Amino acid sequence: MSYQRLKKWFDERYDFHGLRSWTEHKSVPVHKYSILYYTGGLTMFLFVIQFITGMVLSFYYVPYHEQAHKSIIEIVTKLNMGWFFRSLHHWGAQLAIGVLFVHVFGTLLLKAYRKPRELIWLTGFILLGISIFFGLSGYFLLWDERAFAAVRVATGGAGNLPVIGGFIKSFLRGSLDVTGETLTRFYAFHVTVLPFFTLLLMGIHILLVQYHGMSIPLSQQNSVKKHEPFFPNVLYKDIIIWLLCLGIVVTLSVLLPPEIGKKADPLAAPPENIKPEWYFLFLFQTLKLFPGDIMGLNGEVIAIILISLGILFFFLIPFFDRKSAKGEKSTAFTWIGILYTVYFIVMTIVGFLT
Amino acid sequence: MKKITRTIYNLKKKIKKILYLSIITTISSAIAIPLWAEEKIEVFPSAPYDRFIIYQTLIFFWIGIIGLIVIIRMKLKEIERIQDMGIHREEKDIPLLD
Repeated sequence: MSYQRLKKWFDERYDFHGLRSWTEHKSVPVHKYSILYYTGGLTMFLFVIQFITGMVLSFYYVPYHEQAHKSIIEIVTKLNMGWFFRSLHHWGAQLAIGVLFVHVFGTLLLKAYRKPRELIWLTGFILLGISIFFGLSGYFLLWDERAFAAVRVATGGAGNLPVIGGFIKSFLRGSLDVTGETLTRFYAFHVTVLPFFTLLLMGIHILLVQYHGMSIPLSQQNSVKKHEPFFPNVLYKDIIIWLLCLGIVVTLSVLLPPEIGKKADPLAAPPENIKPEWYFLFLFQTLKLFPGDIMGLNGEVIAIILISLGILFFFLIPFFDRKSAKGEKSTAFTWIGILYTVYFIVMTIVGFLT
Repeated sequence: MKKITRTIYNLKKKIKKILYLSIITTISSAIAIPLWAEEKIEVFPSAPYDRFIIYQTLIFFWIGIIGLIVIIRMKLKEIERIQDMGIHREEKDIPLLD
């Protein structure tokens, strides 16, 4: 079948002309913060890497506590290029979460969440939460002593939430303590539940972005120089950034392959100087700031409640920032955004150095 | 004279002590390092030839990436030049040579 006949076949059945005219008219505003528009596409690209490498690893990983650790050692040491795929999956995850944080804080500081894009913010924020849980569940699949202790601390922390804490803790663990049941559960989350919700929310998020178009920051609304066509200009620039990112992920995977610790022993004492993954460090440091007892109340419970309230406020920020919704400048929320960003960066660095 | 002899004797004693200690440290670390290394799981091919191939491939990979970026940038510049000239839009009712 020739190209013309194939084209005609599709044209008779689907509105390709409408799709073509939409792509021709899709444009992206050019201003001094335009670089932040690329962080969304970059996150999506890194997620694609995660899906591909994850699929390859799942062919060989055994999600049973007796064999999980051994199967990873076999992937790394016996399989052809196994070490490379595991390393790619590890570094891809680190970069994906890093870029996602840049994307979220960029959106926060430019107030791209304001009316009518509240749903884009909400879906994006849930995707951030899912990504962090992806990281935690993936880390636990290693079944080494550090991952084991980290999950015990994380699920224990969630258990300190009043009313629903106990349910969340037992739901995540699958039993009273972190056991082989937890591994099976985390594997199910990591390979089925979380990818399903990620694809669903990512689809909604991207559709909403297409529907509303790119948000222009309030400060830049009068200084937008021009609109650049998405196809092919912005797409080509996107591809350049993706290629550079791919190079960085591959280089990190080759030069710094992640270590594998000792097999977890549920009855052994946790290892000394244990630290969570870098994206949990700000929470870890915040918990350290609180004393064990505050006016007769458990300090950790108070810390968890305050952190949860802070995260809830962050999640619902488009509904609190009324001025931005009206298209007016809201200095207070600019400072709140800066405060959140600086707090996250400083606490992560402090947690990393101590 | 007696004092100098005593100092030399003390110095010799100290050197001997350091020498013994260094020999003991070297031997014990020579025994301990392989034991410690045994516990560590190799997460990267250890054969020098494999390592050479991997690093070589990494260099070729970067050359490929840089090459692709250069080609895409050239293509982008050309598209932008055509867009600036305004000749990228399709004219309506243009006669076709079919």
